[in-house]
Amino acid sequence: MPNIVILIPAHNEAASIGKVLRDIRRQVDHPVVVIDDASEDDTIAVARDAGAQVLPLAAHLGAWGAMQTGIRHALRQGYDYAVTMDADGQHQARYLSRLIEPVVLETADVTIGAYPSRGSQPRKLAWSVLRRLSGLKMEDITSGFRGYNRRAMALLAQRGATLLEYQDIGVLALLCRHNLRLLEVPVNMGPRHDGHSRVYRSWAMVAYYMAYSLILGASKRCRLTTVAPS
Amino acid sequence: MTDVNWISGSIGLGVAGLILYLVRRDHLHSRYAIWWISAAVAMGLLGLFPSLVDWIGNRLGVHYPPVIPLILGMAILVLKILLMDIERSRTEVKLNRLVQRVALLEARLEQQHKPKQ
Repeated sequence: MPNIVILIPAHNEAASIGKVLRDIRRQVDHPVVVIDDASEDDTIAVARDAGAQVLPLAAHLGAWGAMQTGIRHALRQGYDYAVTMDADGQHQARYLSRLIEPVVLETADVTIGAYPSRGSQPRKLAWSVLRRLSGLKMEDITSGFRGYNRRAMALLAQRGATLLEYQDIGVLALLCRHNLRLLEVPVNMGPRHDGHSRVYRSWAMVAYYMAYSLILGASKRCRLTTVAPS
Repeated sequence: MTDVNWISGSIGLGVAGLILYLVRRDHLHSRYAIWWISAAVAMGLLGLFPSLVDWIGNRLGVHYPPVIPLILGMAILVLKILLMDIERSRTEVKLNRLVQRVALLEARLEQQHKPKQ
């Protein structure tokens, strides 16, 4: 029985986290850890009631900061594999097994649940620019629905990865630089329960995200091609 | 020495005094005080003896010596701000790692205190 933990960063997700956790429970029996990114609502209580362990962050660290906390926890607790999911219901528990399987079977170090058909036309354009610039030749660079093995987790838990803000370009570039094998697993994604993205909340944030990602992509450029599914 | 010299010179010396006061009151880390005292002393010297600039300008062959402190000051400021942001990034890493570790410890404590089922 592989030693798998499911990591879910959450910031003010009290409305959706309960359902997400119940869906997971119906599909798999792995322990679930919710990393609470200094929520102001009842996220912690709802997550605990649904049977998850909660790592409460004392200050808001952002999506990646919370994710890294979960990864550090997984390493310390001796888990061999971790699956990361969003708390907003976009990522569906029924794909969990399909996502982690290639990592457990060692055909890949990291799997990415890819659903490139989501997103509006301008967003797709932005992604293709980022792909071209960063050298990361992948269908879906922003998906946070991923499976990691211990080697990948150890890399991502490093101090050098702490200042990243998002889990896309910077994380993938780091994995690529260390020649980890990445595999995209096609999945469907549901609508977010509250219906909007946290990264693309306003035009100012989109502009910041693009500028940030362009600089990061250019400075950490890495040629990556994903491994072919076996 | 003209009145203007005295005014600009005393601004520099005043800043130096202010910095010593801030260090004394623990508002400023002595490490940063080294930098600011040097800056204040330079301000004071150039204020009291503006002819220093002309002298340096002549030796370096600069036709309009007053630009020397301007350009030099600007360059040093940019460098200082860059160093500050590097330092800030480092501090941010430390702080974030600490917040993460506290969360890990809190979770472990909670696990230990949970009644065995």
